[in-house]
Amino acid sequence: MTFYEKEIHRIGRIVYANQPQINAIIRTRQYLDNNYESDLNLDVLANAQSISKYHLLRLFKKYYGLTPAQYVIDKRIEKAKEHLVDGMSVTETCFAVGFESLGSFSTLFKRKTGKSPYKYQKEQLSRSMQ
Amino acid sequence: MKVSVLSIPVRDQQKALEFYTEKLGFIKKRDVPLGEGNRWLTLVSKEAQDGPEVLLEPAPNHFEPSKVYQDALMEAGIPYTQFNVDDVQKEYERLIDLEVQFSVKPTAMGTVKVAVFNDTCGNNIQLVQEL
Repeated sequence: MTFYEKEIHRIGRIVYANQPQINAIIRTRQYLDNNYESDLNLDVLANAQSISKYHLLRLFKKYYGLTPAQYVIDKRIEKAKEHLVDGMSVTETCFAVGFESLGSFSTLFKRKTGKSPYKYQKEQLSRSMQ
Repeated sequence: MKVSVLSIPVRDQQKALEFYTEKLGFIKKRDVPLGEGNRWLTLVSKEAQDGPEVLLEPAPNHFEPSKVYQDALMEAGIPYTQFNVDDVQKEYERLIDLEVQFSVKPTAMGTVKVAVFNDTCGNNIQLVQEL
């Protein structure tokens, strides 16, 4: 066993000792992956895992380094990129991934990717034709 | 300021190019001759071709401390670079079939699963899957 593998196991025992808690947070992430386009309802998420809303928030941030809201936004942008590459219109994409306003979608998309959704789509489609 | 290039030190650029494209599935993006057999050789992920480029740089052949550091990391099994995959177990099995050597088999660690392989060019590379 390498030094690194020994360290993985040693650190894992310290940081990830509470497996039931970790499983609850993993289930929360899986739920978000399958429902990213819906309104984020922390009460529902917390009830499903039988923990308080604020505890769930803290635990999610502790294990994934992001709040559930930040995680969902990243997921929506990632999915939006896929839709745009597949040729879906910007407006359709905006609503398909769960945003309620084209303005906020475009602003957030540009902040996260450096390009507007229109420009991103144009570049990707011209690339695929090369 | 944005991240556009990440470096991986390699002992043999041509061998690295073959390993990273033929076994790992990266795509060559830039290949610029820099004299004395050296190249500015970059790759991109097939799934994110507008993402950061991986530069296969021959630093260990020209700068002794780079070689010493790379050797020390290799001996300790430490991966300096990691790539994300959707399914570590599946990728592990695919690469084992291609005779890639792993020093850490798929191992769950909290909210991630990891595995570490040898890139045959002086580096341990870690695969990561978020659980």
